[in-house]
Amino acid sequence: MTTPDVHMLTGPYVLNALPEDERIGFEAHLADCSSCSAEVAELREAATKLGTAVAVPPPPALKARVLAEIATTRQLPPLVRDPEPRPVDELAQRRYSRRSVFGLAAAALAVAGAGGIAVDQYRDNQRTERQNEQLAALLSQPDAKTARGEVAGGGQATVVMSAGQDRAIVLLHGLAKLPDGKTYQLWLQDRSEAMHSAGIAGPDDTKLIQGGITDKIALGITVENTPGVPAPTQAPAALVPMV
Amino acid sequence: MSVTEESMALPWPVVTGPGGTTPAELMARVARGDSDAFTQLYDQMAPRVFGLIRRVLRNPAQSEEVTQEVMVEVWRTATRYDADRGSPTSWILTMAHRRAIDRVRSEQSSSDREQAVAAASTTPAYDEVSEAVTTNLEVEQVRHCLSALTELQRESVTLAYYGGYSYREVAELLDAKLATIKARMRDGLIRLRDCLGVTGK
Ligand SMILES: [Zn+2]
Repeated sequence: MTTPDVHMLTGPYVLNALPEDERIGFEAHLADCSSCSAEVAELREAATKLGTAVAVPPPPALKARVLAEIATTRQLPPLVRDPEPRPVDELAQRRYSRRSVFGLAAAALAVAGAGGIAVDQYRDNQRTERQNEQLAALLSQPDAKTARGEVAGGGQATVVMSAGQDRAIVLLHGLAKLPDGKTYQLWLQDRSEAMHSAGIAGPDDTKLIQGGITDKIALGITVENTPGVPAPTQAPAALVPMV
Repeated sequence: MSVTEESMALPWPVVTGPGGTTPAELMARVARGDSDAFTQLYDQMAPRVFGLIRRVLRNPAQSEEVTQEVMVEVWRTATRYDADRGSPTSWILTMAHRRAIDRVRSEQSSSDREQAVAAASTTPAYDEVSEAVTTNLEVEQVRHCLSALTELQRESVTLAYYGGYSYREVAELLDAKLATIKARMRDGLIRLRDCLGVTGK
Protein backbone atom coordinates (compact mmCIF):
# COMPACT_ATOMS: atom_id res chain seq x y z
CA MET A 1 0.00 0.00 0.00
CA THR A 2 1.50 3.33 -1.00
CA THR A 3 1.40 6.35 1.26
CA PRO A 4 -1.15 8.48 -0.59
CA ASP A 5 -3.45 5.45 -0.50
CA VAL A 6 -3.33 5.28 3.28
CA HIS A 7 -4.73 8.78 3.75
CA MET A 8 -7.66 7.88 1.47
CA LEU A 9 -8.83 5.34 4.00
CA THR A 10 -10.44 7.88 6.33
CA GLY A 11 -13.70 7.49 4.37
CA PRO A 12 -13.98 3.69 4.42
CA TYR A 13 -12.72 3.70 8.03
CA VAL A 14 -15.43 6.06 9.28
CA LEU A 15 -18.06 4.01 7.42
CA ASN A 16 -16.70 0.83 9.03
CA ALA A 17 -16.16 -0.52 5.54
CA LEU A 18 -12.60 -1.78 6.08
CA PRO A 19 -11.92 -5.47 6.63
CA GLU A 20 -10.41 -6.23 10.04
CA ASP A 21 -6.77 -6.43 8.92
CA GLU A 22 -6.92 -3.15 7.02
CA ARG A 23 -8.72 -1.49 9.92
CA ILE A 24 -5.97 -2.46 12.34
CA GLY A 25 -3.35 -1.21 9.90
CA PHE A 26 -5.15 2.08 9.46
CA GLU A 27 -5.57 2.59 13.21
CA ALA A 28 -1.81 2.21 13.56
CA HIS A 29 -1.43 4.91 10.92
CA LEU A 30 -3.99 7.12 12.67
CA ALA A 31 -1.91 7.14 15.83
CA ASP A 32 0.88 8.87 13.94
CA CYS A 33 -0.99 10.95 11.37
CA SER A 34 -2.61 14.06 12.79
CA SER A 35 -4.23 15.09 9.51
CA CYS A 36 -5.98 11.72 9.22
CA SER A 37 -7.14 11.76 12.85
CA ALA A 38 -8.54 15.28 12.46
CA GLU A 39 -10.29 14.24 9.26
CA VAL A 40 -11.69 11.10 10.90
CA ALA A 41 -13.19 13.19 13.71
CA GLU A 42 -14.93 15.48 11.23
CA LEU A 43 -16.13 12.76 8.89
CA ARG A 44 -17.42 10.84 11.87
CA GLU A 45 -19.67 13.75 12.81
CA ALA A 46 -20.97 13.76 9.23
CA ALA A 47 -21.64 10.01 9.35
CA THR A 48 -23.38 10.54 12.69
CA LYS A 49 -25.89 12.79 10.91
CA LEU A 50 -26.65 9.93 8.54
CA GLY A 51 -27.33 7.80 11.58
CA THR A 52 -29.49 10.37 13.28
CA ALA A 53 -31.53 10.76 10.11
CA VAL A 54 -32.95 7.23 10.42
CA ALA A 55 -33.90 7.39 14.11
CA VAL A 56 -36.83 5.23 15.14
CA PRO A 57 -38.09 4.83 18.71
CA PRO A 58 -37.30 1.39 20.10
CA PRO A 59 -40.04 -0.68 21.74
CA PRO A 60 -40.76 0.79 25.20
CA ALA A 61 -39.98 -2.54 26.91
CA LEU A 62 -36.36 -2.22 25.87
CA LYS A 63 -35.83 0.68 28.23
CA ALA A 64 -36.75 -1.37 31.26
CA ARG A 65 -34.40 -4.14 30.19
CA VAL A 66 -31.51 -1.74 29.68
CA LEU A 67 -32.10 0.02 32.99
CA ALA A 68 -32.31 -3.32 34.79
CA GLU A 69 -29.03 -4.39 33.24
CA ILE A 70 -27.12 -1.23 34.07
CA ALA A 71 -28.29 -1.51 37.67
CA THR A 72 -26.15 -4.65 37.91
CA THR A 73 -23.28 -3.51 35.68
CA ARG A 74 -20.16 -1.97 37.12
CA GLN A 75 -18.64 0.92 35.20
CA LEU A 76 -15.06 0.74 34.00
CA PRO A 77 -12.58 2.78 36.00
CA PRO A 78 -11.53 5.92 34.15
CA LEU A 79 -8.18 5.99 32.44
CA VAL A 80 -5.87 8.07 34.57
CA ARG A 81 -3.87 10.15 32.18
CA ASP A 82 -0.56 11.40 33.42
CA PRO A 83 -0.02 14.68 31.57
CA GLU A 84 3.74 14.35 31.88
CA PRO A 85 4.75 10.73 32.04
CA ARG A 86 7.85 10.26 34.16
CA PRO A 87 10.93 8.79 32.55
CA VAL A 88 10.49 5.07 32.38
CA ASP A 89 13.60 4.32 34.42
CA GLU A 90 12.20 6.25 37.33
CA LEU A 91 8.93 4.42 37.01
CA ALA A 92 10.81 1.19 37.14
CA GLN A 93 12.07 1.88 40.63
CA ARG A 94 8.70 2.60 42.17
CA ARG A 95 6.13 0.30 43.59
CA TYR A 96 2.70 0.71 42.19
CA SER A 97 -0.56 1.01 43.96
CA ARG A 98 -3.54 -0.69 42.40
CA ARG A 99 -5.09 2.71 41.86
CA SER A 100 -2.38 3.98 39.57
CA VAL A 101 -2.12 0.84 37.54
CA PHE A 102 -4.19 2.01 34.62
CA GLY A 103 -2.45 5.33 34.63
CA LEU A 104 0.86 3.57 34.48
CA ALA A 105 -0.32 1.37 31.68
CA ALA A 106 -1.44 4.44 29.83
CA ALA A 107 1.86 6.16 30.55
CA ALA A 108 3.84 3.14 29.44
CA LEU A 109 1.80 3.00 26.26
CA ALA A 110 2.22 6.71 25.71
CA VAL A 111 5.95 6.29 26.17
CA ALA A 112 6.06 3.31 23.89
CA GLY A 113 3.39 4.86 21.69
CA ALA A 114 2.25 1.36 20.99
CA GLY A 115 -1.29 2.28 20.13
CA GLY A 116 -3.87 0.83 22.43
CA ILE A 117 -5.58 3.28 24.66
CA ALA A 118 -4.80 6.45 22.79
CA VAL A 119 -5.40 5.25 19.26
CA ASP A 120 -9.09 5.32 19.09
CA GLN A 121 -11.44 5.66 21.99
CA TYR A 122 -14.32 4.44 19.87
CA ARG A 123 -12.98 1.05 19.04
CA ASP A 124 -14.06 -1.57 21.46
CA ASN A 125 -10.86 -3.39 20.71
CA GLN A 126 -10.76 -6.48 22.82
CA ARG A 127 -7.23 -7.29 21.78
CA THR A 128 -5.97 -3.88 22.83
CA GLU A 129 -7.95 -4.03 26.03
CA ARG A 130 -6.49 -7.42 26.84
CA GLN A 131 -2.98 -6.13 26.16
CA ASN A 132 -3.57 -3.14 28.37
CA GLU A 133 -4.89 -5.35 31.13
CA GLN A 134 -1.87 -7.63 30.84
CA LEU A 135 0.39 -4.61 30.94
CA ALA A 136 -1.43 -3.19 33.95
CA ALA A 137 -1.27 -6.53 35.74
CA LEU A 138 2.45 -6.75 35.07
CA LEU A 139 3.10 -3.17 36.19
CA SER A 140 1.21 -3.83 39.41
CA GLN A 141 3.74 -6.48 40.41
CA PRO A 142 6.01 -5.23 43.21
CA ASP A 143 9.10 -6.31 41.25
CA ALA A 144 7.95 -4.82 37.93
CA LYS A 145 10.71 -3.14 35.95
CA THR A 146 10.70 -1.16 32.77
CA ALA A 147 13.61 -0.68 30.40
CA ARG A 148 13.82 1.09 27.14
CA GLY A 149 16.24 1.32 24.25
CA GLU A 150 16.61 2.91 20.86
CA VAL A 151 16.52 0.68 17.81
CA ALA A 152 19.09 1.22 15.06
CA GLY A 153 17.24 2.51 12.02
CA GLY A 154 14.63 4.30 14.14
CA GLY A 155 12.06 3.62 16.84
CA GLN A 156 12.14 2.39 20.42
CA ALA A 157 11.73 -0.86 22.26
CA THR A 158 10.27 -0.88 25.76
CA VAL A 159 10.35 -3.96 27.97
CA VAL A 160 8.07 -4.26 30.98
CA MET A 161 8.95 -7.30 33.06
CA SER A 162 8.41 -9.07 36.33
CA ALA A 163 10.81 -11.80 37.40
CA GLY A 164 8.30 -13.00 39.98
CA GLN A 165 5.69 -13.53 37.29
CA ASP A 166 8.32 -14.72 34.83
CA ARG A 167 6.66 -12.55 32.23
CA ALA A 168 7.63 -9.65 30.05
CA ILE A 169 5.83 -7.45 27.60
CA VAL A 170 7.79 -5.94 24.74
CA LEU A 171 6.38 -2.79 23.14
CA LEU A 172 7.85 -1.73 19.84
CA HIS A 173 7.14 1.68 18.47
CA GLY A 174 8.05 3.37 15.25
CA LEU A 175 10.57 0.84 14.01
CA ALA A 176 11.46 1.21 10.34
CA LYS A 177 9.26 -0.67 7.88
CA LEU A 178 11.28 -3.52 6.47
CA PRO A 179 11.50 -4.48 2.80
CA ASP A 180 9.69 -7.65 1.74
CA GLY A 181 11.30 -10.79 3.02
CA LYS A 182 12.91 -9.20 6.08
CA THR A 183 11.50 -9.42 9.59
CA TYR A 184 12.31 -8.23 13.08
CA GLN A 185 13.08 -11.03 15.49
CA LEU A 186 13.19 -10.72 19.27
CA TRP A 187 15.79 -12.45 21.43
CA LEU A 188 16.42 -12.92 25.12
CA GLN A 189 20.07 -12.95 26.07
CA ASP A 190 21.17 -15.13 28.97
CA ARG A 191 24.19 -14.68 31.25
CA SER A 192 26.41 -16.67 28.94
CA GLU A 193 25.37 -14.19 26.24
CA ALA A 194 23.55 -16.86 24.27
CA MET A 195 20.45 -15.60 22.43
CA HIS A 196 17.09 -17.35 22.73
CA SER A 197 14.41 -16.54 20.18
CA ALA A 198 11.29 -14.80 21.50
CA GLY A 199 9.54 -14.73 18.14
CA ILE A 200 9.19 -12.39 15.20
CA ALA A 201 7.57 -8.95 15.44
CA GLY A 202 6.24 -6.14 13.31
CA PRO A 203 7.54 -2.57 13.60
CA ASP A 204 4.77 -1.53 16.04
CA ASP A 205 3.95 -4.78 17.79
CA THR A 206 3.25 -5.52 21.41
CA LYS A 207 4.43 -8.97 22.45
CA LEU A 208 3.81 -10.91 25.63
CA ILE A 209 6.64 -13.25 26.61
CA GLN A 210 5.66 -15.86 29.16
CA GLY A 211 8.40 -17.83 30.85
CA GLY A 212 12.14 -17.86 30.47
CA ILE A 213 12.55 -14.30 31.74
CA THR A 214 14.23 -14.79 35.11
CA ASP A 215 17.73 -15.68 33.95
CA LYS A 216 17.85 -13.24 31.04
CA ILE A 217 19.91 -10.09 31.00
CA ALA A 218 18.84 -8.31 27.81
CA LEU A 219 16.31 -8.10 25.04
CA GLY A 220 17.83 -8.17 21.56
CA ILE A 221 16.27 -7.28 18.23
CA THR A 222 17.69 -8.31 14.89
CA VAL A 223 16.58 -7.83 11.31
CA GLU A 224 16.52 -11.28 9.79
CA ASN A 225 16.29 -12.33 6.16
CA THR A 226 14.41 -15.50 7.09
CA PRO A 227 11.60 -15.31 9.64
CA GLY A 228 12.15 -17.34 12.77
CA VAL A 229 15.81 -18.31 12.54
CA PRO A 230 17.02 -20.41 15.51
CA ALA A 231 19.96 -18.10 16.25
CA PRO A 232 20.64 -14.51 15.21
CA THR A 233 22.38 -14.18 11.86
CA GLN A 234 22.71 -10.39 12.06
CA ALA A 235 24.15 -7.93 14.53
CA PRO A 236 21.49 -6.68 16.94
CA ALA A 237 19.58 -3.54 15.94
CA ALA A 238 18.88 -3.09 19.65
CA LEU A 239 20.07 -4.65 22.87
CA VAL A 240 18.05 -3.48 25.86
CA PRO A 241 19.52 -4.41 29.27
CA MET A 242 16.93 -6.07 31.49
CA VAL A 243 18.92 -6.06 34.73
CA MET B 1 -39.46 0.30 5.89
CA SER B 2 -42.40 2.44 6.74
CA VAL B 3 -42.90 4.73 9.61
CA THR B 4 -45.25 3.45 12.25
CA GLU B 5 -47.84 5.61 13.92
CA GLU B 6 -46.15 4.92 17.17
CA SER B 7 -42.93 6.52 15.96
CA MET B 8 -44.74 9.52 14.56
CA ALA B 9 -46.31 10.11 17.92
CA LEU B 10 -42.98 10.45 19.67
CA PRO B 11 -40.92 13.57 19.38
CA TRP B 12 -37.50 12.82 17.96
CA PRO B 13 -34.67 13.30 17.57
CA VAL B 14 -34.54 14.95 20.93
CA VAL B 15 -31.67 17.34 20.95
CA THR B 16 -32.02 18.34 24.55
CA GLY B 17 -33.96 16.88 27.41
CA PRO B 18 -36.86 18.51 29.21
CA GLY B 19 -34.59 20.56 31.43
CA GLY B 20 -32.48 21.63 28.46
CA THR B 21 -29.85 19.09 29.44
CA THR B 22 -27.43 18.41 26.63
CA PRO B 23 -25.95 14.98 25.89
CA ALA B 24 -22.53 16.32 26.92
CA GLU B 25 -23.81 17.33 30.37
CA LEU B 26 -25.56 14.01 30.75
CA MET B 27 -22.46 12.06 29.75
CA ALA B 28 -20.44 13.77 32.46
CA ARG B 29 -23.03 12.75 35.04
CA VAL B 30 -23.34 9.22 33.69
CA ALA B 31 -19.56 8.86 34.00
CA ARG B 32 -19.99 9.52 37.71
CA GLY B 33 -22.52 6.73 38.01
CA ASP B 34 -25.70 8.82 37.89
CA SER B 35 -28.41 6.47 36.71
CA ASP B 36 -31.06 9.22 36.44
CA ALA B 37 -28.80 10.97 33.95
CA PHE B 38 -28.44 7.69 32.12
CA THR B 39 -32.22 7.38 31.89
CA GLN B 40 -32.36 10.81 30.26
CA LEU B 41 -29.49 9.97 27.97
CA TYR B 42 -31.31 6.77 27.02
CA ASP B 43 -34.40 8.76 26.05
CA GLN B 44 -32.30 11.02 23.86
CA MET B 45 -30.09 8.41 22.28
CA ALA B 46 -32.01 5.13 22.09
CA PRO B 47 -34.11 6.15 19.03
CA ARG B 48 -30.96 7.02 17.10
CA VAL B 49 -29.15 3.89 18.20
CA PHE B 50 -32.09 1.62 17.48
CA GLY B 51 -32.94 3.33 14.18
CA LEU B 52 -29.41 3.01 12.86
CA ILE B 53 -28.95 -0.57 13.99
CA ARG B 54 -32.30 -1.58 12.52
CA ARG B 55 -31.42 0.08 9.24
CA VAL B 56 -28.29 -2.04 9.01
CA LEU B 57 -29.55 -5.33 10.45
CA ARG B 58 -33.24 -5.24 9.37
CA ASN B 59 -34.18 -7.93 11.84
CA PRO B 60 -36.16 -6.22 14.65
CA ALA B 61 -35.39 -8.76 17.39
CA GLN B 62 -31.66 -8.67 16.62
CA SER B 63 -31.77 -4.90 16.46
CA GLU B 64 -33.28 -4.70 19.94
CA GLU B 65 -30.65 -7.05 21.26
CA VAL B 66 -27.78 -5.04 19.78
CA THR B 67 -29.35 -1.76 20.94
CA GLN B 68 -29.43 -3.14 24.46
CA GLU B 69 -25.76 -4.16 24.20
CA VAL B 70 -24.79 -0.72 22.97
CA MET B 71 -26.73 1.21 25.61
CA VAL B 72 -25.27 -0.93 28.39
CA GLU B 73 -21.83 -0.37 26.85
CA VAL B 74 -22.48 3.37 26.95
CA TRP B 75 -23.09 3.06 30.67
CA ARG B 76 -20.11 0.80 31.25
CA THR B 77 -17.59 2.87 29.31
CA ALA B 78 -18.93 6.40 29.94
CA THR B 79 -15.94 6.85 32.24
CA ARG B 80 -13.67 6.56 29.20
CA TYR B 81 -15.51 9.02 26.99
CA ASP B 82 -13.29 11.95 26.02
CA ALA B 83 -15.22 15.07 25.04
CA ASP B 84 -12.19 16.48 23.24
CA ARG B 85 -12.42 13.77 20.66
CA GLY B 86 -16.02 13.99 19.50
CA SER B 87 -19.60 14.64 20.54
CA PRO B 88 -21.43 12.11 22.72
CA THR B 89 -23.86 11.47 19.87
CA SER B 90 -21.01 10.64 17.57
CA TRP B 91 -19.34 8.45 20.17
CA ILE B 92 -22.54 6.52 20.82
CA LEU B 93 -23.59 6.17 17.18
CA THR B 94 -20.10 5.08 16.19
CA MET B 95 -20.33 2.35 18.78
CA ALA B 96 -23.82 1.41 17.54
CA HIS B 97 -22.72 1.25 13.92
CA ARG B 98 -19.70 -0.86 14.75
CA ARG B 99 -21.74 -3.31 16.78
CA ALA B 100 -24.23 -3.62 13.95
CA ILE B 101 -21.47 -4.16 11.40
CA ASP B 102 -19.74 -6.69 13.66
CA ARG B 103 -23.01 -8.58 13.82
CA VAL B 104 -23.41 -8.52 10.06
CA ARG B 105 -19.84 -9.71 9.45
CA SER B 106 -19.83 -12.38 12.14
CA GLU B 107 -22.96 -13.96 10.74
CA GLN B 108 -21.49 -14.75 7.40
CA SER B 109 -17.90 -15.35 6.59
CA SER B 110 -16.58 -12.69 4.29
CA SER B 111 -16.10 -15.13 1.43
CA ASP B 112 -19.76 -16.20 1.64
CA ARG B 113 -20.79 -12.61 1.62
CA GLU B 114 -18.59 -11.72 -1.30
CA GLN B 115 -19.95 -14.65 -3.29
CA ALA B 116 -23.48 -13.71 -2.43
CA VAL B 117 -22.82 -10.15 -3.46
CA ALA B 118 -21.19 -11.25 -6.70
CA ALA B 119 -24.11 -13.56 -7.45
CA ALA B 120 -26.74 -10.91 -6.92
CA SER B 121 -28.10 -10.18 -10.35
CA THR B 122 -29.58 -6.84 -9.48
CA THR B 123 -28.31 -4.05 -7.34
CA PRO B 124 -30.24 -4.40 -4.10
CA ALA B 125 -32.33 -1.43 -3.26
CA TYR B 126 -30.74 0.61 -0.56
CA ASP B 127 -32.98 2.55 1.69
CA GLU B 128 -32.66 6.20 1.20
CA VAL B 129 -33.18 8.65 3.95
CA SER B 130 -36.30 9.76 2.13
CA GLU B 131 -38.07 6.70 3.49
CA ALA B 132 -37.61 7.87 7.01
CA VAL B 133 -39.64 10.37 8.89
CA THR B 134 -39.45 13.66 7.06
CA THR B 135 -40.83 16.22 9.44
CA ASN B 136 -37.52 16.97 11.01
CA LEU B 137 -35.27 19.75 9.83
CA GLU B 138 -32.12 17.77 10.47
CA VAL B 139 -33.43 14.93 8.33
CA GLU B 140 -34.33 17.34 5.55
CA GLN B 141 -30.84 18.70 5.67
CA VAL B 142 -29.26 15.25 5.47
CA ARG B 143 -31.46 14.35 2.54
CA HIS B 144 -30.64 17.60 0.80
CA CYS B 145 -26.92 17.09 1.32
CA LEU B 146 -27.05 13.48 0.15
CA SER B 147 -28.72 14.63 -3.04
CA ALA B 148 -25.85 17.04 -3.60
CA LEU B 149 -23.41 14.13 -3.93
CA THR B 150 -22.61 12.44 -7.22
CA GLU B 151 -24.47 9.18 -7.67
CA LEU B 152 -21.30 7.14 -7.13
CA GLN B 153 -20.43 9.07 -3.97
CA ARG B 154 -23.95 8.68 -2.61
CA GLU B 155 -24.15 4.99 -3.35
CA SER B 156 -20.67 4.31 -1.99
CA VAL B 157 -21.48 6.08 1.27
CA THR B 158 -25.00 4.73 1.79
CA LEU B 159 -24.25 1.13 0.79
CA ALA B 160 -21.44 1.09 3.33
CA TYR B 161 -23.17 3.00 6.11
CA TYR B 162 -26.76 1.83 5.85
CA GLY B 163 -26.12 -1.39 3.95
CA GLY B 164 -23.23 -2.52 6.14
CA TYR B 165 -21.12 -3.54 3.15
CA SER B 166 -17.33 -3.47 3.08
CA TYR B 167 -15.69 -1.30 0.44
CA ARG B 168 -14.85 -4.46 -1.52
CA GLU B 169 -18.49 -5.48 -1.52
CA VAL B 170 -19.54 -1.98 -2.51
CA ALA B 171 -17.07 -2.09 -5.40
CA GLU B 172 -18.57 -5.38 -6.49
CA LEU B 173 -22.11 -4.04 -6.29
CA LEU B 174 -21.28 -0.89 -8.18
CA ASP B 175 -18.91 -2.61 -10.57
CA ALA B 176 -16.16 -0.12 -9.83
CA LYS B 177 -12.47 -0.30 -8.96
CA LEU B 178 -11.53 -0.65 -5.29
CA ALA B 179 -9.44 2.52 -5.34
CA THR B 180 -12.35 4.43 -6.88
CA ILE B 181 -14.76 3.31 -4.18
CA LYS B 182 -12.35 4.16 -1.37
CA ALA B 183 -11.89 7.61 -2.87
CA ARG B 184 -15.65 8.16 -3.38
CA MET B 185 -16.36 7.18 0.22
CA ARG B 186 -13.88 9.77 1.36
CA ASP B 187 -14.80 12.62 -0.96
CA GLY B 188 -18.49 11.83 -0.52
CA LEU B 189 -18.18 12.18 3.25
CA ILE B 190 -16.10 15.33 2.87
CA ARG B 191 -18.82 16.87 0.74
CA LEU B 192 -21.42 15.78 3.23
CA ARG B 193 -19.40 17.30 6.05
CA ASP B 194 -19.09 20.61 4.22
CA CYS B 195 -22.77 20.63 3.30
CA LEU B 196 -23.88 19.78 6.84
CA GLY B 197 -21.42 22.20 8.39
CA VAL B 198 -20.20 19.76 11.01
CA THR B 199 -16.84 19.89 12.71
CA GLY B 200 -14.85 17.33 14.58
CA LYS B 201 -15.55 18.61 18.04
ZN1 LIG C 1 -2.77 9.92 7.21
